[in-house]
Amino acid sequence: VEEESGQELGLDRSTAKDFHFYHMDLHDSEDRLQLFPEENTRMRKEVVQAEMANESRGAGDGKAQRDLQEEVDELVHLYGLEDDHELGDEFVDENMPRTGVSEYPPYVMKRRDPAREQRDWRLSGETVEAEDLGFGGWGSAGQCQDLREAYRYTPGRASEEYECYVIPEEEDEEEAADVFCVTCKTPIRAFQKVFDEHKEHEVIPLNEALESAKDEIHKNMYKLEKQIIEMENFANHLEEVFITVEENFGKQEQNFESHYNEILETLAQKYEEKIQALGEKKKEKLEALYGQLVNCGENLDTCKELMETIEEMCHEEKVDFIKDAVAMADRLGKFLKAKTDVEISAQPEFEDQTLDFSDVEQLMGSINTIPAPSAPVINPQAPNSATGSSVRVCWSLYSDDTVESYQLSYRPVQDSSPGKDQAAPSPPIIKTKEIRSCEEAVLICWESGNLNPVDSYTVELTQAESPEASDVTESVVGIPTCESLVQLQPGRSYIIYVRALNTGGPSVRSEPAAVHTIGSYFRLNKDTCHPWLIISEDGLSVVRSERRIPARDLSSSDTRFTRCVAVMGNLIPVRGHHYWEVEVDEHLDYTVGVAFEDVTKQEDLGANCLSWCMRHTFASSRHKYEFLHNRTTPDIRITVPPKKIGILLDYENSKLSFFNVDLSQHLYTFSCQLHEFVHPCFSLENPGCLKVHNGISMPKHVTFY
Amino acid sequence: MALKQISSNKCFGGLQKVFEHDSVELNCKMKFAVYLPPKAETEKCPALYWLSGLTCTEQNFISKSGYHQAASEHGLVVIAPDTSPRGCNIKGEDESWDFGTGAGFYVDATEDPWKTNYRMYSYVTEELPQLINANFPVDPQRMSVFGHSMGGHGALICALKNPGKYKAYDATNLVKSYRGSQLDILIDQGKDDQFLLDGQLLPDDFIAACTEKKIPVVFRLQEGYDHSYYFIATFITDHIRHHAKYLNA
Repeated sequence: VEEESGQELGLDRSTAKDFHFYHMDLHDSEDRLQLFPEENTRMRKEVVQAEMANESRGAGDGKAQRDLQEEVDELVHLYGLEDDHELGDEFVDENMPRTGVSEYPPYVMKRRDPAREQRDWRLSGETVEAEDLGFGGWGSAGQCQDLREAYRYTPGRASEEYECYVIPEEEDEEEAADVFCVTCKTPIRAFQKVFDEHKEHEVIPLNEALESAKDEIHKNMYKLEKQIIEMENFANHLEEVFITVEENFGKQEQNFESHYNEILETLAQKYEEKIQALGEKKKEKLEALYGQLVNCGENLDTCKELMETIEEMCHEEKVDFIKDAVAMADRLGKFLKAKTDVEISAQPEFEDQTLDFSDVEQLMGSINTIPAPSAPVINPQAPNSATGSSVRVCWSLYSDDTVESYQLSYRPVQDSSPGKDQAAPSPPIIKTKEIRSCEEAVLICWESGNLNPVDSYTVELTQAESPEASDVTESVVGIPTCESLVQLQPGRSYIIYVRALNTGGPSVRSEPAAVHTIGSYFRLNKDTCHPWLIISEDGLSVVRSERRIPARDLSSSDTRFTRCVAVMGNLIPVRGHHYWEVEVDEHLDYTVGVAFEDVTKQEDLGANCLSWCMRHTFASSRHKYEFLHNRTTPDIRITVPPKKIGILLDYENSKLSFFNVDLSQHLYTFSCQLHEFVHPCFSLENPGCLKVHNGISMPKHVTFY
Repeated sequence: MALKQISSNKCFGGLQKVFEHDSVELNCKMKFAVYLPPKAETEKCPALYWLSGLTCTEQNFISKSGYHQAASEHGLVVIAPDTSPRGCNIKGEDESWDFGTGAGFYVDATEDPWKTNYRMYSYVTEELPQLINANFPVDPQRMSVFGHSMGGHGALICALKNPGKYKAYDATNLVKSYRGSQLDILIDQGKDDQFLLDGQLLPDDFIAACTEKKIPVVFRLQEGYDHSYYFIATFITDHIRHHAKYLNA
């Protein structure tokens, strides 16, 4: 008994070290029960059975019920319960499907008078021993004996210790409540109904009250759950708004700052201009005045000189005087005739110049205006986005714009009224030499074929198995540019057409282009080709001839290789696997591999971290092989020089592998971070030829890598 | 021939077992390890023989190399014999670590007192495969061999000597006169391997011979790696894949 109490109440076991405490999990199998003396076990078994019946929601069979009732009776006797009814009721009730009632029986047990419990147990100990209760598998008699010794010890304990483990809930520990007073909202005992306080009150059976209490709680729990979800959603929403506020702030700030700066710059400019103009004006005036001053000075000098001469003359003899006087008179006459300019040429005042601030005013005015947003870009129509009567339109906007709303308008292009007599456009022309494909997609581009702009293009695909049937198996509409990446099935052949569309309707089909989704197909890119290399007509071979353009004519370029004699292929920008082969000459120095589109064209392949490649150098009859990235290579020796090199580019596993195709021999694998798309690259270090084979499936030995 | 199972442990879905038997070639009891991948429950699998280096037993490879995952994935039965006869009580067999016990070198001794028991070449190329073919779900047509150190050399000579009849037992020499079907040899060598630094290993000679005879070899010198099982564990997956490529073709 104390075991149970301890179990339920979390007894501190250290208080009774002398006892053999066995773990009492109330839901243990019968095996466990062997450890306990029969009567205890039986009691536990009842409890267990009651609970198990409980747990299985009344799935306990009739037998269990009957046994239970018997055991209840025995227990009642065992504990000398005065009120059989109470205990019995509890047990019987338990068999009804309910949760949470499993707490009840032990709880009920605890309320025994400790002294009485001990006495009864001891009393019945001997009697039970003799009985065969039919519970097989008991522990040895000796075991039971030991346990009983342990339990026999219990009477030695002070009863106070017991009492503190008993939870007194009501004043009368002997009897439990069995009805519920709705008015007082408190459990009471049936007989209390008779008393004054509860006489007029509404009373319902305790079980009913329990049910409704539980329902109430469940309802509230459900509400709580809903509230949790709501609040979480709200929190997420708040977070989004939070971020948007930051973004909008950023936009506003940027906008204002640029406007404001513009105004300041304009003002500064005007200031400079004005000051400069004034300065020039001053210079002008001063120069003019200075000029006048100089003239004046000269004039004065001349006057003075004449005066002196005249004075001297007056002191001369009469004959000389007359001679000079005539000459002087002449000179004077001439001199005095010349006009002296005594007009001041430059006024000291500066004219009042009104500055033109109209542009600044305009800027100031516009600072409060919100710029109109840029036109959104409508996305090309996705497959399966239209039905007979509806179409799904998606577009994107520039992140700098603040947009309040969108206006979508449409008009039908087909069946346009006869009034519009715009002609349908001409068919586009597919650039067949620029088609790139892999097993899952094809990238096609074309020339518009029209001088006037068209509204959009349509790409139509047919599977090539039935070329006669013009049934189009797929079409992609609403393409705004002259390029389209179309998803395809592997291992098939397709025929592709393009049409142009405007208000006058669609054009006829373009000339067809064939695409095979076997392996990856690409051509060498003329725009990247070093001037000393010549690409073949089919775009798959490259030759470096003996003759070459002088190096000084090679200017630096972003697209064209200028130092390394190399060329890149145009691989379709699709992740996945790509495999191609390169035919090489054993005696040729070459480099093959992949590189990012913006790899430095002034450096060798493999000399930076934007390219990965295999380099073969043949010198002194020895073959040297390097696998270069960022100028480093592992130390690898290969005994048989490959004539055909297989290259596997695996975006998914970030690997680039090289093989000797003829021997099915694996040479090396790079692990490479491919954050962007790469293209095949090839270089020839001395005159020779490289031939690319692509559009082929991966050989089996390659699949192991 | 009766096989006595010594141990069995489940590993990566398959079973790593160790057996003991009375060897006819070696005239003593011999143990060997066998890994049966999950695929072996339902069908016959190719057999891959691993030859260990000096001082090893059948235990070192199976406990230190971490090969089980690759073997399980590729569905290969991996057999690892011991490196020499044991308990024959031949005078002098335990005097040095690189001669006698644990140093069979995968050759058949021609002189006394060794020639009765030290016949590792015949054991590894004849007796053991026959035993394995008879007792385990292996395909006798698909067999491959690899190894480390003394075992690496053993693997090379086993491959090079069969098919063909040669007197020599030096892999470099063997290669020079190999005229068999196409081989594809993968060799990993730790750059910091003490034996390499001491000049005991001569890979350059072997490679030169292979280059001349056009025997396909990929030889990788691995920076920072030594001779230990840590080195083996690092590259074992690449090697198992190399064999699987041919065994599972």
